[in-house]
Amino acid sequence: MVRAAKVSDKLKQIRIFPQRLLLPETAEKLLNEIDSVKGVVRMLISGKNLPRTITCGPGTGKDVNHPDRIIIHVSGCAFELHVIVGEVLVEVDNESAVEELKKACERALPFSFELKRGYFIKTKATLTDYGKYGFKSKFDETINLEDERMLGMVDPHAKLETNLCMVRAGENV
Amino acid sequence: MAYKPQYYPGNTSVAKNRRKHMSDDVEKMRDISDEDLTALLGHRAPGSDYPSTHPPLAEMGEPDCPVREVVEPTPGAAAGDRIRYAQFSDSMYNGPSVPYWRSYHCAINFRGVDPGTLSGRQVNEMRERDLEEYTKRQAETEMTDWGLAGLRGCTVHGHSLRLQEDGTMFDMLDRRRLEGGVMVMDKDQVGVPIDRKVNLGKPMSESEAAKRTTIYRVDNVSFRSDKEVVEHVQKVWELRTKYGFVPKA
Repeated sequence: MVRAAKVSDKLKQIRIFPQRLLLPETAEKLLNEIDSVKGVVRMLISGKNLPRTITCGPGTGKDVNHPDRIIIHVSGCAFELHVIVGEVLVEVDNESAVEELKKACERALPFSFELKRGYFIKTKATLTDYGKYGFKSKFDETINLEDERMLGMVDPHAKLETNLCMVRAGENV
Repeated sequence: MAYKPQYYPGNTSVAKNRRKHMSDDVEKMRDISDEDLTALLGHRAPGSDYPSTHPPLAEMGEPDCPVREVVEPTPGAAAGDRIRYAQFSDSMYNGPSVPYWRSYHCAINFRGVDPGTLSGRQVNEMRERDLEEYTKRQAETEMTDWGLAGLRGCTVHGHSLRLQEDGTMFDMLDRRRLEGGVMVMDKDQVGVPIDRKVNLGKPMSESEAAKRTTIYRVDNVSFRSDKEVVEHVQKVWELRTKYGFVPKA
């Protein structure tokens, strides 16, 4: 069968770990700089949660109104930050993109950062993914996902729609 | 010769700061009014009477007890105040006070205290008016840098996180933030909005925080650089281990 897009083992994953937790403006700048690097397949931001309401204690249910929980624009796509950005995981498809990525970070970040290679985002479906998405059909036991790049991008229990942003989705790797 | 307590060994700045915190020889750095502090604690409305949990001790007719005769009750206990709490969270990035030193400061210098020491926060329970006195002392002095610490009754997360870009400790509930170069707080310690914006003063600069901190860090003053402290800690560990085995000799 033919899939719209898939991830391959040849992709390289990089973890960008800034010295400070990023303000939304810096995060927006960094993500746009990363997005401008040729060869970036997907990126994943993580950090500490910015809850909409207080979830425990006597103030439960009251609005937090955290000033960092705002809408940012990355490559023309707008989405609301749910976290204070602490690290960015990036997957690229060629070696030269890694150096470009480093330069992009130097342009965007006013402080030092770590750039680490490794395996941070999963590339193959696990049991949890099969539990969430299921099989293609009775006769095709591959995972029921049009675009396998979505694997590992959100928590198994989280909703894709509110946590995933597709930028230039037509450009497959 | 009069007895002089020896609080903590060591010759480094961290050891000296630890001694200062324990002996309450701390520098006052800002003013926070009583009303503002009451609002931040969130236990009662500013200006209202202290709710009580029992009548004043003088009216209760206490039983004959030699201990009660010797120990004078704290103002809060004498008035029958409720037990209330204050909880501080301090950054490990050179926060001026670390949880154990808040507890030591409290237990040594105040009475009727129940300090709880955790890895990244310190909670203290006291009678309400005693608690306000204690919190004011810690909040106004060099024990607290409001950029690197926070009054957090719940959702205390921040102690072990990297600092934010503006150099302050992350606060998930946005209780206090840097505005115009000063820290302001417009929510009480559990994140409920209050009717005022309390000015908590300027946060310390990085170099000042490094000078006033009570935490040993490899990138500032490392624990192993203070030989006397290492020797003391090793001695304590040796003695408590031997005591655990109850040696005959």
